[in-house]
Amino acid sequence: MREYLVFQLYGPLASWGDIAVGETRPSAPTPAKSAVLGLAAAALGLKRPDTAATEAERAGWESQHAALAQGYGLAVNVQALGVPLSDYHTAQVPSSGAGRNRKTFPTRRDELTWLPRAELNTILSRREYRQDAFTACALWSRNSAPYSLTEIRDKLLEPRFVLYLGRKSCPLTLPLQPTLKSADSIEDALAGIDLNKILLALWGDKTGERLNDKFSRDGCCLAWDADAETRISQDQIEVLTRRDTSLSRRRWQFAVREERRASWPAGGEP
Amino acid sequence: MTTFLQLHLLTSYPPACLNRDDLNRPKTAVMGGVPRLRISSQSLKRAWRVSEVFKENVTGQTGIRSKELGRKIRDALLSGISLAELLKPNSPKAESDGEISEKDAIEWAWMIAAEYVDKKGKGADGENEEGEKEEKEGKSKKKNAKSNVSKETLKSEQVVFYSKPEIHALSALIQTLRISGKVPTAEQLKTVKIKEAEGTADLAMFGRMLASSPDFNVEAACQVAHAVTVHRAAVEDDFFTAVDDLNTREEDAGSAHMGEQGFGAGLFYVYVCIDCDLLKANLNGDTELAGKAIRALIDAATKVAPTGKQNSFASRAWAYYGLAEKGSRQPRSLSLAFMKPVREGDMLTDAAKALETMRGNLDKVYYEDKAEPNKCFNAVTGKGSFQELLNWAVGGEGA
Repeated sequence: MREYLVFQLYGPLASWGDIAVGETRPSAPTPAKSAVLGLAAAALGLKRPDTAATEAERAGWESQHAALAQGYGLAVNVQALGVPLSDYHTAQVPSSGAGRNRKTFPTRRDELTWLPRAELNTILSRREYRQDAFTACALWSRNSAPYSLTEIRDKLLEPRFVLYLGRKSCPLTLPLQPTLKSADSIEDALAGIDLNKILLALWGDKTGERLNDKFSRDGCCLAWDADAETRISQDQIEVLTRRDTSLSRRRWQFAVREERRASWPAGGEP
Repeated sequence: MTTFLQLHLLTSYPPACLNRDDLNRPKTAVMGGVPRLRISSQSLKRAWRVSEVFKENVTGQTGIRSKELGRKIRDALLSGISLAELLKPNSPKAESDGEISEKDAIEWAWMIAAEYVDKKGKGADGENEEGEKEEKEGKSKKKNAKSNVSKETLKSEQVVFYSKPEIHALSALIQTLRISGKVPTAEQLKTVKIKEAEGTADLAMFGRMLASSPDFNVEAACQVAHAVTVHRAAVEDDFFTAVDDLNTREEDAGSAHMGEQGFGAGLFYVYVCIDCDLLKANLNGDTELAGKAIRALIDAATKVAPTGKQNSFASRAWAYYGLAEKGSRQPRSLSLAFMKPVREGDMLTDAAKALETMRGNLDKVYYEDKAEPNKCFNAVTGKGSFQELLNWAVGGEGA
């Protein structure tokens, strides 16, 4: 028997960052733990260490994030993987010059407007998103948990900073509906959240059913941390390595995490 | 807990190609299994950020842009005529009235003018910007090694913008110096440089990420979602040719150039969420400027669109429907309303109705039918007013 905090993540666009080198910024098909805990961190009001004023403050904020990363276990039920989208994202940057001609710009607006158009260079990137991805999440406290699940739930209801699904341009479209639940296993904890039911409640029977068909259920899966309580048999479990345990928010470094996963064909059950 | 100001807008564009991908076709997204046109969040933010609408709302006042203010300051010190008078066209000639010596006036004017070109604020490393050190006055060389103002001509190397409050501060300082007769102290010199409202509001609202000096990063107070059409939208192709004026068609009657331009017309849903507490914190508690910044953002969001392909499509439009919500609940966009695409027909009304219905349903299912305080305007039905929405949104934040 464990206490879980369950909530739902849905937005028209989501991006679960994966290992990225250079121009391509891919998205993993299922949520990254650092993204979900980052959302909790934003709700709790933890600040980004790189905006701290002093070194001591910076170290303090870093350790807050680290404590959050280590203090909770996560299980997710991905009910819709979503359709991938690759966004061609360009950014104009002025040349910074060198040595005595080094130019600095106080704001982005200045970067874009001070120089003539012809002197602006372009940075290219391809950023991946998942469209219409729906995930139910369950968090449980470990021994070192810095905040109680109740505290996190209250903060998710009235967050301190804006919440988003991986990238800031991916806001939530459904209320998280964070609830505390006692359950024997993660399957029981996550059983309460069902995309189908939500669509029916918001759209009525006929349209709800039709919309439900529009969500592709291929690749639905349950994924969890190693210390989860689950009844799923060993032979159905695959183990994946994901690099999504936040080590340092300032240096943007992540450690590997073992994720257990069980998937089933569309329309099936675990 | 913080106050979130959420803005939902519906804007209908005629055939346009506001935001293109690498194939020069309008960007798309899939929502509810149906393809839609999309304007990316980054292009919206950029268009609003550099727009005149944003700038005018924030500065709200005209200022002076000049290299020669050093001279005017010297004249004001010498003659006792107010700086504001001297800055007007056809200003009276400045004659010394003996209060301050010529040498002092030049020296002090130079020190004051130097305050504006020494960019030592956030984001700069205090290096010279295309400037040459002044070697004229030997003894002051060491103290003023980084000035970009010429001691001889009192002209600055770059054009500097002086806002109205800064001109007032200058006049006040000049008066003080004329009375005291002493060299301006460091504290006094600090008072003349008032933080440029326009740059600060831009930073506070849209943030800054400096790869070279991440310590100067500012977290953006606003969150802008990618704008998607509320209806199914396909990218259409405009096949065009360029006729050759000098082709006499004796040999071949072909055109000089042929091409295809993808475009699409769309009714877009735009969602913006402003974290009001963070905005105020970014502006160091300046509620008046925070209010101006919010006003500027809403004004820009409603009226400014990316300028892609404007010469060919001239697709400028204003939002016809706007809904602002203020509260501390977890913010949520209302794109769920358009999961089922709006059908052709009375699209403008249907889209607005779908948005409001979904809002009501979400409140019913998740918040026991309690709505957050909100204000809306609808140009199709003639309900509400944009000014009213602006004033309400800015409301407790100041002017």
